[in-house]
Amino acid sequence: MSGILIGQSAINVLLLSGVLTIAALGFSIVWGVMNIINLVHGAAIMLGAYVTFIAFTFAGIDPFLTIPISMVLLFGLGYLIQRNIINYVMRAPMLTTFLLTFGLEIIIINLAQFFFKSDLRAITTGYSGSSLTLYADPAANSSIEVPYIKLGALIVALLLTLLTHLLMSRTRLGRAIRSTGMDKDAAQLTGARISTIYALTFAISAGLAGAAGSLIAMTQSFQPGFGGTYTLYAFVIVVLGGLGSVPAVFLGALAFSLITVLTGLWQPGLTQAAAFALLVIMLVVRPSGIAGKAFYQ
Amino acid sequence: MREALRQNRNVVIVGLIGLGIFALLPLFGLSGFAYRTLTSMFLLIVTAQGWNLIGGYTGYAAFGNVAFFGLGAYATGILMYRHGWSFLPTILVGGLVAAGYAALIGLPVLRLRGHYFAIATLGVAEATREIVAWWTPVTDGAAGISLPFLKPITLAQNFFYYLALGMVIFGAFLTWFIIRRKLGYSWIAIRADEDAAKMLGINTTVSKVIAYALTAFLVGIAGSVYAYYNSFIAPEEVFKIDRTLQAILAVVLGGAGTIAGPIAGGVLFQLVSTFLIFSKPFGIDLGQFHVTIMGIFIVLVIIFTPRGVIDLVTRSAREARRVHADQAGGRRSTWTFLKDGARATRLILAQNRQQFKI
Amino acid sequence: MSRHLLRSVSIGVILALLIVACQPAAAPSGNQPSGQASDCKITFGAAVSLTGKTAKEGGYVKDGYELYKDEINKAGGFKVGDKQCLIDIKYYDDASDPDTSAQLTEKLVTEDKVDLLLGPYGTNPTFSASAVAEKYEIPMIEGGGAGVKIFDRGYKYIFGTLPAAPFYLRSVIDAVLAKDSSVKTVAILVENDGFSQEVATGAEEYAKEKGLEVVYKEQYPSNTQDVSSLITAVKAKNPDMILGAGHAADAILIMKGLKDQKVNAKAYAFSVGPTSPDFRKTLEKDADFVLGIGPWTEAMKFQGTDVFGTPQKFADMMRAKYGEENYKTVPYQAASAAAALLAYQKAIEAAGSTDPKAVREQLAQLDLQSFYGTIKFSPEGIIVKPMGVVQLNPDGKLYTVYPADAANGEFLYPAKAWDQR
Repeated sequence: MSGILIGQSAINVLLLSGVLTIAALGFSIVWGVMNIINLVHGAAIMLGAYVTFIAFTFAGIDPFLTIPISMVLLFGLGYLIQRNIINYVMRAPMLTTFLLTFGLEIIIINLAQFFFKSDLRAITTGYSGSSLTLYADPAANSSIEVPYIKLGALIVALLLTLLTHLLMSRTRLGRAIRSTGMDKDAAQLTGARISTIYALTFAISAGLAGAAGSLIAMTQSFQPGFGGTYTLYAFVIVVLGGLGSVPAVFLGALAFSLITVLTGLWQPGLTQAAAFALLVIMLVVRPSGIAGKAFYQ
Repeated sequence: MREALRQNRNVVIVGLIGLGIFALLPLFGLSGFAYRTLTSMFLLIVTAQGWNLIGGYTGYAAFGNVAFFGLGAYATGILMYRHGWSFLPTILVGGLVAAGYAALIGLPVLRLRGHYFAIATLGVAEATREIVAWWTPVTDGAAGISLPFLKPITLAQNFFYYLALGMVIFGAFLTWFIIRRKLGYSWIAIRADEDAAKMLGINTTVSKVIAYALTAFLVGIAGSVYAYYNSFIAPEEVFKIDRTLQAILAVVLGGAGTIAGPIAGGVLFQLVSTFLIFSKPFGIDLGQFHVTIMGIFIVLVIIFTPRGVIDLVTRSAREARRVHADQAGGRRSTWTFLKDGARATRLILAQNRQQFKI
Repeated sequence: MSRHLLRSVSIGVILALLIVACQPAAAPSGNQPSGQASDCKITFGAAVSLTGKTAKEGGYVKDGYELYKDEINKAGGFKVGDKQCLIDIKYYDDASDPDTSAQLTEKLVTEDKVDLLLGPYGTNPTFSASAVAEKYEIPMIEGGGAGVKIFDRGYKYIFGTLPAAPFYLRSVIDAVLAKDSSVKTVAILVENDGFSQEVATGAEEYAKEKGLEVVYKEQYPSNTQDVSSLITAVKAKNPDMILGAGHAADAILIMKGLKDQKVNAKAYAFSVGPTSPDFRKTLEKDADFVLGIGPWTEAMKFQGTDVFGTPQKFADMMRAKYGEENYKTVPYQAASAAAALLAYQKAIEAAGSTDPKAVREQLAQLDLQSFYGTIKFSPEGIIVKPMGVVQLNPDGKLYTVYPADAANGEFLYPAKAWDQR
């Protein structure tokens, strides 16, 4: 492998891991705190992408500025969904919650298909596709490129990850969420309103999914069914990194990106197989992941 | 055994009547569409019965059972298409290949519990699909395999119909046979408390691997029959995660960890999904909303009857009988019994809704 | 008493369920064209995807069928013997799922008793549905599945109006070589599905035959969300021509990736994508110079005696019926669907009846000039038809650039490098 190939691949890994961290972060929090495998997550990402699309296309708002809009809208939707539906199964076995979120995902995707049609959408701004050339070798017609939009997405993703980390570790709400995740009955004794905390947790997760959707909308085309793949990625990332902390999600996303990029260079037909094989091995050898803890921190 | 029969008398009677009806139905003439709908329903029931062993009785929420379906289908596909085998022996091979694969991956994966087991099995299924799609020299890759079909039509229809119905009976019998034996008790003990079961001297690893292999066998033979029945298989179709989810839904709908559950749930699931595509209730064309309504149906079922419809019906009936027996002679009519039953059902539904709430 | 009751209730419930399951659903509710005198009616059945992952393309197919139905009924319908027959089409939504597709086709044949079948969209649903058609020996003409394996099975009742997948990218290679014989290297990116693999293998073989070197050919998983490492690998090979065999979403993703990493080739072409209106809408200026292929474009110069006559007329009628904004460019899926009904019309009129066997015989020997070009099926049942090459021109329009006799625009070659645009 030439130096340029290695350099570009390293950039690819880094850029990919930023967006994937945001895509998996909310999923990890809901799993860690509420013990729910939330299949609605991919649908929330999809809705975030459409919020950005609509705000950009019809109101001309710069896609990066639409991120707060989709976060707020999805936050609200997440709160409502938890309050009115998921709250009924909070004490149920895992299978029940899994199937419930599966049903919800079907509903949201099909309604989206009705409203938005299954046209492929994308956001193309003036700066889409322009990139920063880090190193160029004109003789060999090769170079190392960092696309601005993906760089921007990486920065936003890292910023949001940091904010989420601070929210979870430094604020009262974060502490309440964490203690609920550790032991909901004990948390109740301390006076926390568990149902509100669950609803807020779910809402934060959906808000993060919305941000992920906005970022993804800038880098690829999408239609209502696209989120499911990201739910699957989130699974793998959370398992690789380990449940229980924000930095673990970042590590997991980094590991996942590394595998997909490396397999992508060598045998792209097997990228997902490689990721899942690693997932199974990881589960068996080290179920707590690279940096997992017993509960959310 | 006699004791067992007495306890479940109603269920057994309903089951036998249902079996009789399904066995005789073709004699009264079925359309090709009815044949296909019912045959697909039987195959769905068999995959549900398979899941019920590991998920319902043993309590391990497996989400990758479609891998066994796909392997069964590909065993039949490859043997018939490349090696010229006749169909029936390939069913057995399909089941055994799936069971062997389950035992192999079960050894490491069954050490995991809860969510982790669920995700690991899902991962195995996805990886299996991708490998089958990639391994072109053996599987013909993503392009899939086409098989000839059985002729004439009426022979084929009845052959697959009764074959699939026979598999349902086999699945029910297998379940019934095992759960009255030591192996079955060990599964239920594992579901209740695996560490305690281990302490009681149960070799939980062996029990779980057997459960998983038997699950895979049932799902694998369903896949084998599907391959020949549909005459075309491709990785993205036979390894589709929806197949696992449909089977799980069927079990949950009917009642997990019971013999009748997968059957009742499979019948109900197939009826609802078929009904939604065609029916125009009150003249309203559901059109493209049929999938959305299916989603709403799933959500409602999960919230209101997490233990399945059989549980709902028997509990309502028991409650109605109790109320009924208390009443003075004059009011005891079929009508009041049904009314009491309906009231009991409403009450149970309301209780169910609150049951897991925070 | 109560036990008896429970028993009878249970039996009742089961019986009721069975009756619901097996009863033919409500009578077909197709729109009866009114105000036309006609002696008879011919009903076609079609299970197309109106929801699910190919809802979009399924919609094009349905629109194509519907336009043809309306126009031919306005013109008095099919002439069968000495009768004039209006046509009707019964649709179901297969939700892009092959199992459902087979189930619905079975219903169309055995319960709705349609006369003849039209195909679904997508290679996998077509596999399942055509097996049902063959089983009942009822012809099915499909304009939405091009996998060669569909036609490799020795079936006699399945006909396709899309050229076989291996031919898809060949005309692109011809077009480029005609313009520049110094082209040496090709990279091929392939989605991991049956149809795309056939396309890619066909292109690879043809490229080698023409003396080109295939420097890169790799599969990527369906539903992929990131192709950056494939692009990096392609860039390292520095190919003259980049070919993509996949679906529209992948084609868009690949184009974005190529621009991101400034990969400059002399020509970019995709089997599916460029002809779809979404491609230009999503990529905007970045879609410039990209080549696509189609068995039919509105610029092609075909002439027929059918209700449309020319490709241009068909396209105009599509826009008139479904709106200018929905069909800025009319995708070939709509035309190939309409062509399926046209093939039926000629076969039925020649056979003088809708008898499946007689219609099948006529379809096999059909040789017809139409708005869709020559409609003639190979012994396997697939249409024999060259592919046209189209290019997205920087002026925002889509021009047919190859073959020369159908071209209505200049083939801009080589594509401009990314930093010179």
